[in-house]
Amino acid sequence: MMATRNAEALAAANKKYEWGFSSDIEQDFAPKGLSEETVRFISAKKNEPEWMLDWRLKAFRLWQTMEAPDWAKLNVPPIDYQDAYYYAEPKAKPKLGSLDEVDPEILRVYEKLGIPIEEQKVLAGVEGERKVAVDAVFDSVSVATTFRKELEAAGVIFRSISEAIREYPDLVRQWLGKVVPMRDNYFATLNCAVFSDGTFVYIPEGVRCPMELSTYFRINAENTGQFERTLIVADKGAYVSYLEGCTAPMRDENQLHAAVVELVALDDAEIKYSTVQNWYPGDENGKGGIYNFVTKRALCQGRNSKVSWTQVETGSAITWKYPSCVLNGENSVGEFYSVAVTNGRQQADTGTKMIHNGKGSRSTIVSKGISAGRSDNTYRGLVRVAPGAEGVRNFTQCDSLLLGEQCGAHTVPYIEVRNPSAQIEHEATTSKISDDQMFYAMQRGLDAESAVALIVNGFAKEVLQQLPMEFAVEAQKLLGISLEGSVG
Amino acid sequence: MSITLPTRRDEAWRWADLDTLSAARTTPRAEIGDAADHFLDLDGPRLVFVDGAFDAARSDPRRVRVQAIAAETAHPLGMHAAGTGWSLDLDASEAETCIQIAHLGSGGESHVPATLTLGRDAVASVVESYAGSGWANRLTRIRLAEGARLMRSVRLVQSAGFVSLREEAEIGQAASLVSIFLGAGGMGSRIDGELVVTGDGGFAEMGGALLTRGEQRQECAVAVRHAALDGSSMQLWRAVAADRSAASLAARVEVARGAQKTDGEQSLRGLLLDRTATVNLKPELEIFADDVKCAHGATVGELDRAAMFYLQSRGLPEGVAKALLTRAFVADAIDRIGEEPVRAAFLADAEAWLAEALA
Repeated sequence: MMATRNAEALAAANKKYEWGFSSDIEQDFAPKGLSEETVRFISAKKNEPEWMLDWRLKAFRLWQTMEAPDWAKLNVPPIDYQDAYYYAEPKAKPKLGSLDEVDPEILRVYEKLGIPIEEQKVLAGVEGERKVAVDAVFDSVSVATTFRKELEAAGVIFRSISEAIREYPDLVRQWLGKVVPMRDNYFATLNCAVFSDGTFVYIPEGVRCPMELSTYFRINAENTGQFERTLIVADKGAYVSYLEGCTAPMRDENQLHAAVVELVALDDAEIKYSTVQNWYPGDENGKGGIYNFVTKRALCQGRNSKVSWTQVETGSAITWKYPSCVLNGENSVGEFYSVAVTNGRQQADTGTKMIHNGKGSRSTIVSKGISAGRSDNTYRGLVRVAPGAEGVRNFTQCDSLLLGEQCGAHTVPYIEVRNPSAQIEHEATTSKISDDQMFYAMQRGLDAESAVALIVNGFAKEVLQQLPMEFAVEAQKLLGISLEGSVG
Repeated sequence: MSITLPTRRDEAWRWADLDTLSAARTTPRAEIGDAADHFLDLDGPRLVFVDGAFDAARSDPRRVRVQAIAAETAHPLGMHAAGTGWSLDLDASEAETCIQIAHLGSGGESHVPATLTLGRDAVASVVESYAGSGWANRLTRIRLAEGARLMRSVRLVQSAGFVSLREEAEIGQAASLVSIFLGAGGMGSRIDGELVVTGDGGFAEMGGALLTRGEQRQECAVAVRHAALDGSSMQLWRAVAADRSAASLAARVEVARGAQKTDGEQSLRGLLLDRTATVNLKPELEIFADDVKCAHGATVGELDRAAMFYLQSRGLPEGVAKALLTRAFVADAIDRIGEEPVRAAFLADAEAWLAEALA
């Protein structure tokens, strides 16, 4: 029995990456390699103001003095930063106002990406559907932004970051690099120097964003590192839900993705940030695959502000990602809900930091790690309570599920408390899918794979139910696909 | 001796108090008390080390040998503990209990290695006390053959300075090691441990209580590695921090590939007595086998308000209620000591500390 299932697992691992397609669109490349010239090229390409170029150059000089972090439980092969292109722009038509005008080939790619049905219906002219605004980042350049008008009517600014730098320089300048400082870490500094594009969102005071905002990241050009930069500012009493979803085409070369996401929530504001990440994880021998080294951080600056991170991580060869909350505001709230699935030779080192500086601030961490194949899955987290933060509460739950004997599940939580009124609780469990569970599900008529999918979805449900509807469906599907045949 | 110390940039040493350690190396010599004060009234071998040197006149080593021992470890502090130390070798089914060792420091640094090798089904128990001042650096290597049992109780009651302990153990089939530590002095400390369960069904336990006040910093950084089937382990640590002190507990359970049916338990809890104190916890799991049970719990906070209210409603003054609950909190860890008189002595040390801290 065991042997058959192992064979099944092997067969599943050998399965080709379902969404590993690539399309040829003419690209405008920056010269290969990384130098001040590259930085100037990117900045010039984007018609950036002088202050932005200076900022980039400062970051680049700083980056040259830094060393890549090595504390994560990851085996990262040396990266040759000179052997990559840092900028690639599709030769898009000028002045794109809506998705209709987009290169048909790009549209075709979107279709394969599975842009939510709502979006397609809206594109087809169906009325009365729930609206989702999509800012599509196609290899580093935002080529189309829909629903801009409706958002503008509400006062919401939803732009690619390069547009925002030109159109709203004061607003961008006020917050860019304030949450993740330039010298924060090696990959964030690199991003500051060479970020290609990304998204800027500003929700004005008292506005509830009329639709969910979403961005699709996609790495398309061979050897192109992607350096996204996202900045979301929710002014007093504002609310926004932001979705980020990713798939990438299959490549042999390792591709580097070093994004920076900064969120700012002022008094009574709330930001909900959801991610489904399904980049190419490499082939059965771990060859190829994306390196995902992302810095995501939220500043809950105002009273009663709230930031909620939800992530479903199924892709990438190596994930290094710790979406965090700095809870400065009184009674501010931070949440982190994560499902990380690793299979094959994937390595994931992910978790969160909750920095409690504000009185009465609260945080919840729910992390579900699922390891299969020969992969390693690590939860790494920090909960810190500052001396002045009275009445802080934190609850952390880290559950690991191991499928098979060749994988690893690790938990590395740090808890640093400097105020006696804090109540910090941490729980963790490690389990496997028991034979009893499998037997029960299968004697009710499910095949082994559906049974595994059912049990895994149940294991991860606390996180999945935090996702917006269309993401939840996609995420459940992803979990099933990622783990096909991996249990015996 | 020139020693390269680790730095706090090193992840495993981020909470370490290396400044106190460095300062302790050069403290001037001071008077040390009577060694007899640190021995319990138990029949068994007694050894006294003064500033790391064996004091034969005040010792009764019996089966324990004092000899040169090499420091075979890569640990950055433990590797310096070479030279004359003590060792106990027991053959199959032999027993040697209530071995008491007093380490007295008058200042400066001292390095003492030790080895404990227990044959099949052998039984031993050791009680160690650290008193005085200066930097006491120790390396203890333990090997337990099939069915051997060792109980270690270690109390750190130096008034000042620093104590760094490095424990390395190999635990054979169905063997059992229990090491309990109490840090109730005024010194800084670092308790490092790596227990490896190499035989099926072995049991490893490392735990204790670290009590800190003033500017003091104490920490443990221990790991239990399961490399065989059916092993079980327990890590139960309690930290109480007062004033501006910091207590840090880092404990890790590692389950190697193939070490199925492992049952690893971890419980780390911190209690803060003042708003300027710090407790750091790091309950870590590293698991490479799927059929295991590893649960850990970690909490930090102040005393349970409901419990406080209950005791006060029964007529206990606030101070007494606080002392009672704090004592119970610490006793969780000390109660793991198997020998009644040793447990009582350790509890008395903890109580003396609490009486002063809560006064």
